[in-house]
Amino acid sequence: MFLEQLSGNLFQGLILGAVYGMATMGLSLIFGVLRVVNVGHGAFMMVGAYCSLWAFHGLGVAPILALPLAMLVGMGLGLIFYYTVIRRLIKAPELATLLATFAFGVILEETIKLIATSESRGFNWDIGKIDFGFTILPYTKLIAFAGSVLIALLLYWWFNKTRAGMAMRCVVEDDQGARVCGINVEWEYALSFSLGLGLTVASGVLLTMFIPVGIQPYMGGGYTLKAFVIAVLGGLTSPYGAFFGGLVFGLLENGSYSLFAQIPGLEPFAMTRFFSFVMLLVILLFRPTGLLRAR
Amino acid sequence: MGAARKYAPLLPVLGLYAALFAIGLLVPGKWQLIAQLVFYCALGQAFNLFMGMTGYVDFGYVAFMGVGAYGMAVTVSSLSDKGLGMGVIGIGLILSVVFAILLSLAVGAVALRLRGAYFAIATIGVNEGFRYLIEGARIWNGSEGIIFSSQLRELIGREAAMSLSTFWADVMVFGVAGIATVLTIVYMRGKIGYALAALRMDEDAAKVMGINVTRFKIIAFITSAALAGLLGATAWAVKLTYVYPADVFGIHYTVEAIIIVLLGGAGTLLGPIVGGLIYGVSKYYLAVYLPGFQLLVFAPVIIAVIVLFPEGTVGMIKKNLLGTALEKYIL
Repeated sequence: MFLEQLSGNLFQGLILGAVYGMATMGLSLIFGVLRVVNVGHGAFMMVGAYCSLWAFHGLGVAPILALPLAMLVGMGLGLIFYYTVIRRLIKAPELATLLATFAFGVILEETIKLIATSESRGFNWDIGKIDFGFTILPYTKLIAFAGSVLIALLLYWWFNKTRAGMAMRCVVEDDQGARVCGINVEWEYALSFSLGLGLTVASGVLLTMFIPVGIQPYMGGGYTLKAFVIAVLGGLTSPYGAFFGGLVFGLLENGSYSLFAQIPGLEPFAMTRFFSFVMLLVILLFRPTGLLRAR
Repeated sequence: MGAARKYAPLLPVLGLYAALFAIGLLVPGKWQLIAQLVFYCALGQAFNLFMGMTGYVDFGYVAFMGVGAYGMAVTVSSLSDKGLGMGVIGIGLILSVVFAILLSLAVGAVALRLRGAYFAIATIGVNEGFRYLIEGARIWNGSEGIIFSSQLRELIGREAAMSLSTFWADVMVFGVAGIATVLTIVYMRGKIGYALAALRMDEDAAKVMGINVTRFKIIAFITSAALAGLLGATAWAVKLTYVYPADVFGIHYTVEAIIIVLLGGAGTLLGPIVGGLIYGVSKYYLAVYLPGFQLLVFAPVIIAVIVLFPEGTVGMIKKNLLGTALEKYIL
């Protein structure tokens, strides 16, 4: 009984982990290229969740169709934020960008609250499910999984096979050298910032395929913490590392939930949140370069 | 530097606090507003002691206030039938400081090994993590929190409990602000202040010069946390006579601390008080005229301050007073 439950949970965790991973790629991309930590990460995912909510309730279409819209919204926000604020702070102490991205997240939360109130909302997009015997998976979750893997593969292809992607990798390696080779470093910064935020907002849409309820302006806080754990698992600077970090985190989160649920007197949900925080500290302490890389 | 000149910057700070206290006592109906303002000033000062002096941002700062509030709540609710009277409040204050220091040691042991962005990432989950530990493992009543108003009445009587939470709790916050002021100037004028100034400029260079940066970082971190513990115990636990985990670990108190320090000027003595007053007064009037919009106003203000005048109000005043007779009063 317990094993069946555990294997079901782990399977679900792997599926959710792919979405988590995709949701963290933007964070790692921005940190890798600009050395800016997007502390408002969760707020951008929240915007994505509202995109799919509006697509479903407002336009009456399948919420997954909000994905390209969310990507564009995120990229637009990214360009605006980069050219008004971040560009002036690249050379400032880290404190400045930490606080600026944090404040931008707060602006997003408060703006959404103004438009959509702080009421928690959700939708019910039922397109059937598939029974694996040990666990049941709705097609919506399968779509989220497939979407995440597809986006991760696209990003991989873009970084390795296109000139634009390779130019961005050059900037990560050596921004001075990239400048000498005629790469417009300033534009690469802007592009990767907006691409990172585009990915983050888009991941909010995929997330609602998984958890279509509890959409409210302050939902992002928990995801910011999870994204940091995942990014640190993956080494913080690499988008692929982040993707695999997401898979690992999904497994650990759901696995630990099953274990905590076995211990009487514990609230498994809250303990899982606590566990992810402990995990963050432990990894930062012992493997600050991530699980996948050698020191 | 003579002692009089060394401690001259205390004058405007203590003057402001004395003025606030006098206004609160003499102008009827303004005590609550004054109490709120002093809370913000004290919060700014406590936060500034670490963030302002080191340049490290601790996003989980509110956790120290939270455990401080719990220290007081646990003490009062478990010692209420021992007949110790007001002594229990004293024990509660001590326990709140102990809790905050223990947590700061645990967090600092990991986070203070890290720098810049990594430090911020390590601390951002501390408040949430601790809140979920309390709720998840059902420590101290779990998510139901601790309500100890009846125990407090039993302990010191109805009248005294009433005046404790409506008046004396706020006076204690004044006390915490006073302690924070004294500690800040002692640190700034002492070896630790110069060491941390060097660290803020260039941590590697400071290390090479033989400064034990780790030691001074830890001292500033623990001091700042202990003050936060006292604030949580006085401004929250004693004043409200209840503690809920969802309230006392809310990240928006960290946000408020950041806004106050930035507005006033990070790393200055007078800054957090000026920032606290600006923030408190504008929040008060925003709540009257634009309820619910406070954060929507303050978040762009943070960005504007960072981009346009990162040195804050007091930093600008200091620049303008350079070379005048007033210079020695501004730090």
